[in-house]
Amino acid sequence: MKVPVPLRIFALIVATTAFYTLVGQLVPQKEVHPPQETALKKEMSQEEILTAGRQIMERKGLCFTCHTVGKTGALRFPDLDGIGARAGSAVAGLSDVDYLAQSIYEPNAHIVPGFNPGMPVINKPPVGLTDEEILAVIAYLQSMGGKVTVTLESKVWPLGAGADPKAGAAATAGPSR
Amino acid sequence: MSSRKIAIGSAVLVVLALAATVGLVRFIMSIEYRAPYRSDQSQATPRGQATMDEAAAKAKADRERPYVEESYRRFPVVGSRVAVWVLAQLHLLFAAFVLAVPIFALIIEFIGWAKGDARYDRLAHEFTKLLSVSFSLTATFGAFLLFMLVVLYPKFMNYLTHVFSPTFAPYVGLFFFEAFFLYTYYYGWGKFHPVVHLLLGLGLNLVGTAIMLIANAWLTFMTTPAGISESGAVISTWQAVHNYTWMPINIHRLIANVAFGGSIAAAYAATKFLGASTDEERAHYDWMGYVGNFIAICAFLPLPFAGYYLASEIYAYSQTLGLTMMGGAFSWLFIIQAVLIGSLFLGANYYLWLGMGRVDASERFQGYIKYLLILVAACFAIWATPRSIIATVSETRAMGGASHPQLGYLGVMSAKNTAVNILILTTFVSFLLYRRSGRTPTVTWARLGNALQLAITAAAAGVVIFLGVYGYFVEAKVRIGLSIPQVGSVLFAMIAVTFIDVFMYRNAKSLGETHWGRIHPASQYVLIFLAVTFTWLMGLMGYVRSGLRQHWHVYGVVRDTSVDAFTPTLGFATKVVSVTVLCFFLLIGFVFWLASLSDRKPSGPGETA
Repeated sequence: MKVPVPLRIFALIVATTAFYTLVGQLVPQKEVHPPQETALKKEMSQEEILTAGRQIMERKGLCFTCHTVGKTGALRFPDLDGIGARAGSAVAGLSDVDYLAQSIYEPNAHIVPGFNPGMPVINKPPVGLTDEEILAVIAYLQSMGGKVTVTLESKVWPLGAGADPKAGAAATAGPSR
Repeated sequence: MSSRKIAIGSAVLVVLALAATVGLVRFIMSIEYRAPYRSDQSQATPRGQATMDEAAAKAKADRERPYVEESYRRFPVVGSRVAVWVLAQLHLLFAAFVLAVPIFALIIEFIGWAKGDARYDRLAHEFTKLLSVSFSLTATFGAFLLFMLVVLYPKFMNYLTHVFSPTFAPYVGLFFFEAFFLYTYYYGWGKFHPVVHLLLGLGLNLVGTAIMLIANAWLTFMTTPAGISESGAVISTWQAVHNYTWMPINIHRLIANVAFGGSIAAAYAATKFLGASTDEERAHYDWMGYVGNFIAICAFLPLPFAGYYLASEIYAYSQTLGLTMMGGAFSWLFIIQAVLIGSLFLGANYYLWLGMGRVDASERFQGYIKYLLILVAACFAIWATPRSIIATVSETRAMGGASHPQLGYLGVMSAKNTAVNILILTTFVSFLLYRRSGRTPTVTWARLGNALQLAITAAAAGVVIFLGVYGYFVEAKVRIGLSIPQVGSVLFAMIAVTFIDVFMYRNAKSLGETHWGRIHPASQYVLIFLAVTFTWLMGLMGYVRSGLRQHWHVYGVVRDTSVDAFTPTLGFATKVVSVTVLCFFLLIGFVFWLASLSDRKPSGPGETA
């Protein structure tokens, strides 16, 4: 039996479409939902703040879209492993907290040699982290090889905002500074 | 069955339908509710009083109800997102076709006028036949889309209106001019002086392109907004129009529209070829299909370069957006894209190889086809190789990670860029061989010309492969930049080799004739396959361009807070794309059928259909 031409054409269109649909089913299937908020409370312990900081980096902050931890080789953005230890000496005259805060609020202020600028401003949309969330992130970054000094009550931005004129302290954040 | 019988049958059916309707109305009227007779003197009962109180309370509540502006409304069954998605895609597919056909119809008409060859004029006219119904469908889907957006996404549309209201009146005005030029161009075929007619075609193209530029401003603004304050207030409408991705999308769409339009026109020719009853018809539609496909492939070859430009602008606007596209939620979509583009290259090459059958003395090139096929298949395989593989825990352990120890190296951009550039070069060589079939150069420097062409092609391939390998040993910042010399060397080779070929084959000796219509019918199914693949690819890439915003209506400005504020799985997205493609082909089939009606002889009294 000879199949009519229009039917053959129709079958070809359906078969081609079905093939591409099948290819679409073979790749990993993942629904991506808007990032979840991480609840922050003033009375959180340091351990809880670090956990929250990590969660914020993974979720709302989208940090790990670009940054890696513990990866070497040809990277597009700096690896964050040991950032807590390096931050204090990254830029002369800036403490670790100052450096981390400025890198988040003004991402193009300091570009790690060998990398291109490209980090978005984190406290504005589309990421839009709050000041408290950024404190939790800084605490977590400090914990990667350094000493955690930041709490949710620290003032880290603008630089020098946390200085206590009465105490004559030059430091900007944290009880240990 | 004769057309008279059909007409009588239709009339009887209409009368029967009318009689049935009248009968139904009478029946319904006969059972209409009529209130029973009651006394004039009402007696208040507790139940009656309660009913009246209830009605009064409801009326009072209705009067006092405050106006609340709705952010979203829900479309039944499939939801608002899918409804708008399908409509927007259908509108875009028809719009792309309506914008593309006049471009190449005008060029073909111009060639016919300049050469004094009536065949080209007939061909251009036949392409234009497909336009009028498609234009109506474009406008209908556009209006439907607009209503759906206003109804389903009122708050978001309010914001877009706030930013782009100055562009709305020019858009509508241009649409009016588009209709004027299109219908005058089509219905005025052969009725005006050729130059006047060509100018009408030019006007149609200019107005059509201007419409596209305005619509592109709206959609690109949603991904890479500009010209607004931090809170979203307009600072400059022009900056909002001229945002980061506006010009890349303009260029990308213009080229892609031509590729898509050419493929659909070729599919039309293929359907006519398959249904043709005479050799003359077959010859004409074989030629038309060849021209349509030639246009599609010529436009398709530079498309990846336009894609690079668009992607680089997305990265320039936001690295996060760029990485979401290439390394995040959408990274696997580009594997699907590789399968589609690989299929396009394979189909296009196959069609060219089959086409050699219509040319006498083309056998001398047939031996090269197997090598070209190996190259196409190898590049296709590399391009479709994913970086990380879906594997079980034990398989992942055995591989030492998510990437295969050897194949994983083919899943990175260095390998893929190399593969696609070689694929383009191979297709170009296929076309060159087809072009040379049945002819031999007569110029004295033919040997030198051939050697030069070979050297340029080999050098381009060498540069592409060398830079592809080099990319593995340098940091990302350098690697990204390598794609530019890769693309540049391929473009240079194509231009230089064509330039030499044109002069070398001027006054070439003919070794035989080209027998239009003498081609295997499988070639026509290939043309239809290519048209479906182009359409599907447009649907998929439209999804990634739009889906890239994820849970934002306007990236970083207007957040999507609806129930659809998530990115669906690729499996779901491909199903929606497929449904849209099938709807489009049903509708374009209707357009083809309508266009073919004009070829039929009118059935007069006593004639049978």
